[in-house]
Amino acid sequence: MKNRLRVLRAERAWSQADLAKALEVSRQSVNAIETGKFDPSLPLAFKLARLFGLRIEEIFTDEG
Amino acid sequence: MWCLSNPAQRRYLVRMISAAFFCLVFSLAAVMGIRHGHVSGLPSYFLAVLPAVPVAWTLVITGAYLSEEKDEFQRNLYIQAILCAVAATLAVVTAWGYMEDFGRAPHLRLAWVYPMFWIFVAVAMPLVQRRYR
Repeated sequence: MKNRLRVLRAERAWSQADLAKALEVSRQSVNAIETGKFDPSLPLAFKLARLFGLRIEEIFTDEG
Repeated sequence: MWCLSNPAQRRYLVRMISAAFFCLVFSLAAVMGIRHGHVSGLPSYFLAVLPAVPVAWTLVITGAYLSEEKDEFQRNLYIQAILCAVAATLAVVTAWGYMEDFGRAPHLRLAWVYPMFWIFVAVAMPLVQRRYR
């Protein structure tokens, strides 16, 4: 699944560590999600959406 | 990657170290008691099984860690490492069993299977992590 996490994070001048702290996950987790190597669960995707004030589909796009 | 600022991972490490300590103590008690002939009969069976208790406890500790870990990515990494280790351990033990039966391989004591599993977990963890870099 593709996502705009890196762009959204850059717009807010957040580091991966900042985002990880806000999500209560490790920095490796944020990196894995950003690079599209790990798809977050629905609860984590909602948490991300709330954090950025966006809808899930505005952050993640289905490739299929 | 193991991080002591992660409460679940910190608890897991403390519990595993405690279990390893008891495993060592019970193993030494079994060796001293049985091999040196201080204990025999029914108590020797009890003493022989004693080291298996903390060993089984580490599996409970691992299950507790997986349910306490809030970081789903870290949980996913650990599950993958455990699955790799289970596969490697089963493959090695099965192959070794055939080599014992049909070849001239020396006997592998079953007590080594458990440490072998954790060695494979330790080897698998960085390999699994590398996939996500």
